Amino acid sequence: MIKSTPLAAFNGNGDDQRALVVIFLRGGADGLTLLPPFEDDEYHRARPSLGISKKIALSLGGNVGLHPQLRELQDIYKDGALAIVPACGSEDDTRSHFEAQDLMEHGGLVGGGWLARFLRNREDVHSSALAAVAISRDLPEVLRGSPSVAVMQSLDEFSLGKGSEKLASQLEKLYGAQTDALGQAGLGTLKELRRIEKLRATKYTPEHGAEYPNDYFGRGLTQIARLIKARVGLQAASLDLHGWDSHFAQTTLIEPLMQRLAKGLFGFYRDMGKAMETTTVVVMTEFGRTIRENSAFGTDHGHGGVMFVVGGGVRGGRVFGEWGALQTNILEFSSDVPVNANYRNILAPILLKHGADEKKMGDIFPAFDLQPTNIYG
Amino acid sequence: MKISRRKFVQAGAAATAVALAGCDKIPEFLAAAFRQKPTCDGPFHAPSSDAIDAISHALNRLTFGACPHDYARVSRLAPEPQEAAAAFIEEQLAPEKIEDAYCAKLVRRFETLAQPFGEMFEFQEKLLLSELQRSTLLRACVSERQLYEVMVQFWTDHFNIDPSKGDCKWLKTSDDRDVIRRHALGKFPELLRASALSPAMLWYLDGRVNRKSNDEEKPNENYARELLELHTLGVHGGYTNQDVVEVARCLTGWTVRGTRQSRFQIGKVEFKPNRHDFGRKVVLGVEIPAGGGAEDLDRVLEIVQLHPQTAKYIATKLCRRFIDDDPPPSAVEVVAGAFLQSSGDIRETLRALFATHEFQNTRGNRFKRPFHFVVSALRAVDAETTADLNQIDFLVRMGHAPFNYPTPDGYPEEAAPWLGTLLWRWNFAVALTEGRVEGAKFDFDALKGKFGGDETLMAHFLGRKPTEEETEAYRESGNGLALLLASPAFQKF
Repeated sequence: MIKSTPLAAFNGNGDDQRALVVIFLRGGADGLTLLPPFEDDEYHRARPSLGISKKIALSLGGNVGLHPQLRELQDIYKDGALAIVPACGSEDDTRSHFEAQDLMEHGGLVGGGWLARFLRNREDVHSSALAAVAISRDLPEVLRGSPSVAVMQSLDEFSLGKGSEKLASQLEKLYGAQTDALGQAGLGTLKELRRIEKLRATKYTPEHGAEYPNDYFGRGLTQIARLIKARVGLQAASLDLHGWDSHFAQTTLIEPLMQRLAKGLFGFYRDMGKAMETTTVVVMTEFGRTIRENSAFGTDHGHGGVMFVVGGGVRGGRVFGEWGALQTNILEFSSDVPVNANYRNILAPILLKHGADEKKMGDIFPAFDLQPTNIYG
Repeated sequence: MKISRRKFVQAGAAATAVALAGCDKIPEFLAAAFRQKPTCDGPFHAPSSDAIDAISHALNRLTFGACPHDYARVSRLAPEPQEAAAAFIEEQLAPEKIEDAYCAKLVRRFETLAQPFGEMFEFQEKLLLSELQRSTLLRACVSERQLYEVMVQFWTDHFNIDPSKGDCKWLKTSDDRDVIRRHALGKFPELLRASALSPAMLWYLDGRVNRKSNDEEKPNENYARELLELHTLGVHGGYTNQDVVEVARCLTGWTVRGTRQSRFQIGKVEFKPNRHDFGRKVVLGVEIPAGGGAEDLDRVLEIVQLHPQTAKYIATKLCRRFIDDDPPPSAVEVVAGAFLQSSGDIRETLRALFATHEFQNTRGNRFKRPFHFVVSALRAVDAETTADLNQIDFLVRMGHAPFNYPTPDGYPEEAAPWLGTLLWRWNFAVALTEGRVEGAKFDFDALKGKFGGDETLMAHFLGRKPTEEETEAYRESGNGLALLLASPAFQKF
């Protein structure tokens, strides 16, 4: 006999589930371009070609703006659903992509990802095969150690095959005849499966007139939206947007990326509609870039970057913190934006909002003195 | 192993050539001719009773699943099933006497496993991890030393290390080989000491930064705590926080040269006296006099390695793995006694466990963890496998990929955390039948033929005769093999 445990019902009740979507901008996205401090003379002096002027920046009502390619993000901001954190990053000073991404995804020098630890501390996480979804080819570090991760690129990977209805109904008979928790688990799983089969069978039409860009990123967000709305018990999803490492010809390199980011996020935001109240999207990057542009019209690895938080009840329409006085005459760290907000202090309140136990925060972000920023108050 | 006439002649020719050449080493390509996958020719025998018999039970518990020829082979070990099972257990308790050339040959392709420790740092971390994962899966699938592989997994979880932390990326391969695999069926005190001084463990539980108190720093208690809580006495073992502090003091000074800090002898374990607390300590009521340096480590291990609470804790975990999620206290007592009597001899301890009536009579109740499920499926269909990364992917989705667990307690043994993996198991079952599991080749029709009938075939998979419901489900499912692998009975052992 397999004993029962206090698990959430296997009906994939997404009504109780809040979903957290983590988007990682790989390569070190240039925060000063995404959120230009157009009033700062030092910024313009350091970036004669890359600087964004007040005229072309999208106004946020203060002394920073959004890059013109992020037009759709301005809409979300005006809706009050986007919070922005400049000078955000990690305490380590590695300029290595690999190391910095690892440290940020793990939440420090620790094994496994912080998102995995968050899920692991949830009592009900074992009830769904789709509690954690990574739209990816490989397991992302942030989800390493999660109880189960659906590493997938398409819903087709869930199929039981052609003509599987017969198989499913026979399994239903066998599991239905079991009197222990295994039987329960089997029947619940079949319900989950039928929901997914329905999803796969129907062509998806985004709601509220939303449009997703037709690329990897847009498609990934579509999958996530579908799964959240199908209430299969999804609690966390991860998706990457690559290509931000703009050492040369920065404008050419990242303007298309900014467009895709903004259009994708906006499509998701619109499509989710009311469900955005229980869905949070976090956009982060492993580090920002140098204040000074280099001789190839690009920027090099820096320190503080920018973080975005969309939805989930966040107090949007606000910029939390500031870039501060940009100092390019410091010999150490060759002109870097400082980190005024540690990424954990933004993630911690989000995880709490998503049901993390306050007492467990020390397990999720070990060896760190958390000082959560109040992004909800 | 059957040797065909052709191979016999080839062997003769080869041996002659070698003798004439005066070379005392048979060239690899000739030797390879001898090491084929042990052929499984039918007709196969399958269990024939309605309930799991002694042989099926022994196969269930001591292996990662029965191959088609296993039941017949074990039956032949003795006339009565009970004796045959006992003979099988004895055989598995002496892995060094079990011929395993085919497995060794397949594992050799994972070159990083055999690298000298210092060379590990030359390799890409992703490669090290993937070879470790794949070889672990492969060994579980093809090794004849099944109990050994089961115990390797047991100790890997017990002394869990997540390679993704810091330098562990380059260090876990050696820990797997030189700590876990070297001592899996050896002696617990030796295993414990090897683990305590494993570079990977020193990194993983921060032993390497454990130094005596001064103005800026205090000892790092991480390893000390887990040593007591997870490796020896267990969380209810009766140690106090003060004990943790004292153990940490004893272990101050041990460190590892890291990749970021050193340029030479990276990974070398060193004892630095200037970081060690030489004061007097008291651990679990035992005094460790002042002035001890590196030997303080041995003093601590002596106190905990064969402590009665340690015996109870290890016995409980073993009984959980081999008997029931809720280990019967009477069995735990017997096993703990054997542990102490034998000074922590793992084989003796297991021998005592397998002799308990609780072990012998509690059958078919345990829930396979995903790794066990995948391996038992591949073994049941007699698949030739290269343990491709694609197979690891399935395990990732089930949350049970080897070396992916982040915290020191290791993958849980009880059923509850794994109940949510059914969807991925069924997915795997269907993918296997449709040939979508890369690197796994098998012939189900041939298998059916060798078993000579559906009922015998089903009995092989289930370890007993199928029920009427199961037989009907098999017929009506449209995909009999997938049904078998996805069925509730196949999830248990």
